[in-house]
Amino acid sequence: MKPSAFDYECPTDLNAVLAMLGDTETETSILAGGQSLVPMMNYRLAAPERLVDINRLPDLDYIREDAGFVAIGALARHGEIKASELVGRHFPMMSEAYDWIAHAAVRNRGTLCGNLCHADPASEMPALMQVLDATLVVAKATGTREVTAQDFFVGTYETVLESDEMLTEVRIPIPEAGTGWGFEEVAMRKGDYAWCTVVATLRVVEGRIAAPRIAVSGVGDAAIRLGAQEETLAGAEPTSAVFEEIAAAAAAAVNPPNVEHISADYRRDLLRSLLPRVLSAAASRVAA
Amino acid sequence: MKSHLDTNVIPPSRQREAPRAGLTWIGQSIKRVEDPRILTGNGGYIDDFKVPGMAHAAMVSSPHAHARIVSIDTSRAKALPGVIGVYTGEDLASVVDPCPSFASPPIPQTAIAVGKVRHVGEVVAAVVAEDRYIAEDAAELVEVEWEVLPANVDIEASAAATGDALLHPDDRESNVALDESFNFGPVEEDFAAADHIIKRRLRWHRSSAQAIETCGVVAQFDPYKGGYTIHCNSNFYNFIPFVIGGSLRVSPGEMRIVPKLAGGSFGSKVFSHKIIILTAGLARLAGVPVKYIEDRLEHFTNSDSHGSDRLYDAELAVDKDGTFKSLRFTVLDDYGAYLQFGVGTHGNAMAQVTGPYTIGSFGMRVKAVLTNKCQQGPYRGFGSEVTNWLMERMVDAAANELGQDPLALREQNMIKPDAFPYMIPTGNIYDSGNFQKVLAEAKQMFDLDGWREKAKKMRAEGRCVGVGVATCMERSVYGPTEWWSLNNKETPGFTLTSTPESISVHFDPSGKLFVTLHSPMVGNSPETVVTQILAERLTVAPEDIVFNYSDSQSGFNGVGPQGSRFTAMIAGACVSASIKLEERLKRFGAHMLQRRPEDVELRNGMVAVKGLKDQEKSFGEIALTSSFFRLSFPDGEEFDSGLETTAVYDHPLSTDPDEDRKHLGIFYPIVGHICHIVAVEVDPGTGKVEMLDYAAVHDNGTIVNPRTLAGQVWGGTANGIGTTLSEQFHYNSDGQFTNPNFAEFAMPTANEMPRNFKLGHVETPSPFTEYGIKGGGEGGRLGAPSALTSAIEDALSDHGVKITSLPVTPPVLRGLIRDAEQMAAG
Amino acid sequence: MNKKAISLTVNGRVREALVPPRMLLSDFIRHELELPGTHVGCEHGVCGSCNVVVDGKAVRSCLMFAVQANGTEITTVEGYDTAEGLHPIQQAFWEEHGLQCGFCTPGMLAAAKELLAANPDPGDDEIREAISGNLCRCTGYEFIINAIRSAAKAMREAEIQKTLQPA
Repeated sequence: MKPSAFDYECPTDLNAVLAMLGDTETETSILAGGQSLVPMMNYRLAAPERLVDINRLPDLDYIREDAGFVAIGALARHGEIKASELVGRHFPMMSEAYDWIAHAAVRNRGTLCGNLCHADPASEMPALMQVLDATLVVAKATGTREVTAQDFFVGTYETVLESDEMLTEVRIPIPEAGTGWGFEEVAMRKGDYAWCTVVATLRVVEGRIAAPRIAVSGVGDAAIRLGAQEETLAGAEPTSAVFEEIAAAAAAAVNPPNVEHISADYRRDLLRSLLPRVLSAAASRVAA
Repeated sequence: MKSHLDTNVIPPSRQREAPRAGLTWIGQSIKRVEDPRILTGNGGYIDDFKVPGMAHAAMVSSPHAHARIVSIDTSRAKALPGVIGVYTGEDLASVVDPCPSFASPPIPQTAIAVGKVRHVGEVVAAVVAEDRYIAEDAAELVEVEWEVLPANVDIEASAAATGDALLHPDDRESNVALDESFNFGPVEEDFAAADHIIKRRLRWHRSSAQAIETCGVVAQFDPYKGGYTIHCNSNFYNFIPFVIGGSLRVSPGEMRIVPKLAGGSFGSKVFSHKIIILTAGLARLAGVPVKYIEDRLEHFTNSDSHGSDRLYDAELAVDKDGTFKSLRFTVLDDYGAYLQFGVGTHGNAMAQVTGPYTIGSFGMRVKAVLTNKCQQGPYRGFGSEVTNWLMERMVDAAANELGQDPLALREQNMIKPDAFPYMIPTGNIYDSGNFQKVLAEAKQMFDLDGWREKAKKMRAEGRCVGVGVATCMERSVYGPTEWWSLNNKETPGFTLTSTPESISVHFDPSGKLFVTLHSPMVGNSPETVVTQILAERLTVAPEDIVFNYSDSQSGFNGVGPQGSRFTAMIAGACVSASIKLEERLKRFGAHMLQRRPEDVELRNGMVAVKGLKDQEKSFGEIALTSSFFRLSFPDGEEFDSGLETTAVYDHPLSTDPDEDRKHLGIFYPIVGHICHIVAVEVDPGTGKVEMLDYAAVHDNGTIVNPRTLAGQVWGGTANGIGTTLSEQFHYNSDGQFTNPNFAEFAMPTANEMPRNFKLGHVETPSPFTEYGIKGGGEGGRLGAPSALTSAIEDALSDHGVKITSLPVTPPVLRGLIRDAEQMAAG
Repeated sequence: MNKKAISLTVNGRVREALVPPRMLLSDFIRHELELPGTHVGCEHGVCGSCNVVVDGKAVRSCLMFAVQANGTEITTVEGYDTAEGLHPIQQAFWEEHGLQCGFCTPGMLAAAKELLAANPDPGDDEIREAISGNLCRCTGYEFIINAIRSAAKAMREAEIQKTLQPA
């Protein structure tokens, strides 16, 4: 299990990276944390002609507060984000979720941006970013564009990124005070890719649910928002009966992969079981 | 009354060192002697070893489960710079014959496939290159044209397959490689007379040990002497030259096999002969030393060490008062594409198939089914882990159907402490035991009564909490008739009956005791236990003992760590060596003290005059004098210089199988007993199982080192937890192995282990082994699956869920719950 | 495919080498630097046997290329013990029977080292979490957890001793 040969570049300037990505003659992959890419290369499931190592780009490992959002740079590692006081204060759901994402040594190298670009349908952060309404800043040689997390994920290992583009920053808006959140997942072992992850945020205004956002991963070829269930939830009372009803509707609506030994029915069951727990946790955190 | 067992006579005990209180070193948790070098990175594993001019091998592996090889084009691979050679099965066959087999008649297997492949991952060509990276590049350039054949995946379907679906059409007309039936005692009569017959269909799925280190070899061929030097991590290297010499076309003496510290085995490295033959053949073909270390993918798909994969139709005959009368079953075992050890895993299970219970007769039909999967090999339990689970499942089923308390039913049928040695229907004996004491200890440690109350209350609150108890046997000190006793008696094969262990010891002139072991270390603690036993027997200071490992040419008889045999067997060799060495020490020492040998004794590293304080000579002084001052002693060969000896210890208690297989003889008689009790909570919505509390009590006879034994129990329990809850190899309907990686084959991490694990020991010494030592290397995996399964079933008793198949992963368990919910909803 | 020149500090010693870009850091450490204590168990980043400490952080050396380690400071298991003897974590693994075959041990030690550097008094669940990315097939983990707990205590006591000593 040794990788195929590749050309290696390690620019210290973002423009140089973008220029290399613009050279579409050579099949190029960005090497950030490498925690998903390198295993695939070792199995020879991936064999890029050229690796552009971005680890030496200056000033991309930031986690900083800006006007109403927190910006996380392309080289911020999972471990740093997990430990970040800023993230813990504004997005406790992220800190909680990180307990379930891989293990310390992997989090020490892996980056949030790399994880999002990898777009594993079982990965947690694509769901979190959608619930948190993140905006992704995408750069290429000719300029930058912004994509919402909801629009970013296209399918299994597939995003809207063009081959000459790089995700340079994630911007997560700071939620309104009083926003409650919930996170649940089921995996074979803690730290494994999840069979089903359910996340939600909501507020409760005068006894009624407001601004609910729900996202799930593991139950389709990409993480998705549950728009229809959010609509039902908006304005409803935060009761377990409502949550159960929403969960039943959500489980019926999704179309999970039916792979041997982890059936579509099972993933639907997980969504059905986890969603009420997530919603009631979110509601109770509003109260707190 | 005449019995089928009358001819099976228990030989007298050969025990020399009686179990006793007040031992100095045996029973102490000394720190392991092996550890400092390992802790500092100097363990010396196979991949740490290199020789000048060494090249590296990589394999071209079959992507198909079953296919004819139409053609292989190696030209592009050979042209790659850095490549030394590319070899097909035909090329290898020019220097190497097929692999050895314990199946009789054998199922032919070659180290590189010839003509066709029979499972995904089977090697079709090998590359030898300057480094492993280039070798893998070249492997990608080998082009194979295939004719795909039907893949046999399902065990029952494969048993009925014909035509192109036959795996070995040249040798067998069926994919059933062996189909034998046995009746041990009056099975028919007992079933006919029984009040109830409990029936279950039980399924145990395939997994494997997956030690963190894979198998590896560094092989050199000497064209002038015509022999091989082979470094490897096999645990069986003193037997291997004899077994593989035929394949390598050399006499056993022309091979020097050098063991390396193995990074875990759990059975998976017991022989590992195929990789040795493969690498040796490549070294000969390439004309350079070759290193081949399996990568993880190869270890999953081609290491010939997959575990049991069985389908049972089992019946337990029970009287209405709950007395067990007889047990019988038909078992189909999916052995994969070959049958290297015959049905040895079923032979093994015959050692304790009726569990700790008085069951008068036992019958079995065993069918070894070949499929397009990697073949089976040993994994901790070697088949007995499955029959333990079967027995306990049948007892729980009986309790359920008879409306009895499962624990009371166990206690009612348990062999009583005064019944030992106890012969079970298959002819094996249980040398000793006190199962009631083990159970009592476990109940108390776990607070079983308290937990049962608690669980009931929690269930009343709607939680799915349950408690499971398993009382299981742990046979130890294996005898090799298990490999062949179930073969057809017309073609028994190689009827091996020896499983010796040996040791060589000598004092150097400085008084250090140099010990040479003839078996390797695989993660067990051979140096530590030998230190403790020799220190005990010779009163030598542990820090004065120095260890070496022999190779196959310098070494002597040894079978190595497997079948929970090593500690008990090496103890025997240590005692034999100590008796010989003591005699010499006393002879030389007495002469130096001007006394008669019968007037001196060994005392704190001295030969000392009995009853006198200051009349003594240290072992160092005696060693020095006996080594360098020959003229200080009388003439005569009894005073030949130096203090050394080699000693062999044979199996302490075994007999031949009956010729007509009315019984199988005594072959695995040193039995331990284990009781595991676990409380679990099931999340019915997700199928996740959480262990709330866990207690295990093991009786392994006299304990040499409590802490290293505890390590074995803990580790085995972790394996058993994985087997029960998360580990399974998945082959899809095309025979593709879909989870050959550590991300998807889910071995427990620290997070998956129980938080409140309590471990206890009862010591019922063996009357047959030195000091009463029993083996204890497999018990955790022999007990955990039964206890956990019972606990889960208990937790879901309100749902009516029955568990008849392992593992019960969350998707499987949720599926069972869903079915039960749908059934309840009508 | 051109080889790249790298210079890094391994166990306190500056090492310079020309490496093909695809050479995994694990292979570089084991076979080029001839430090065999870093073990390779899976080469897909799950087992943790190849963990080494790079610039203070435990990382999977099978998921890093040697060329990426240019300029870093790396500690492998060979760099833990001192002239005075075993590192307290190694010592605790010895005393508490935290290893059997020893193959996973260097990775466990790296995880423990990183944990205790950040948290001198971890609870059992924190220890469990810290080593949960390291697979061990021998021990069932319990004695490893005991060892790390005991090492933490020994290291705290050594710290106290140090502060009590006159300057």
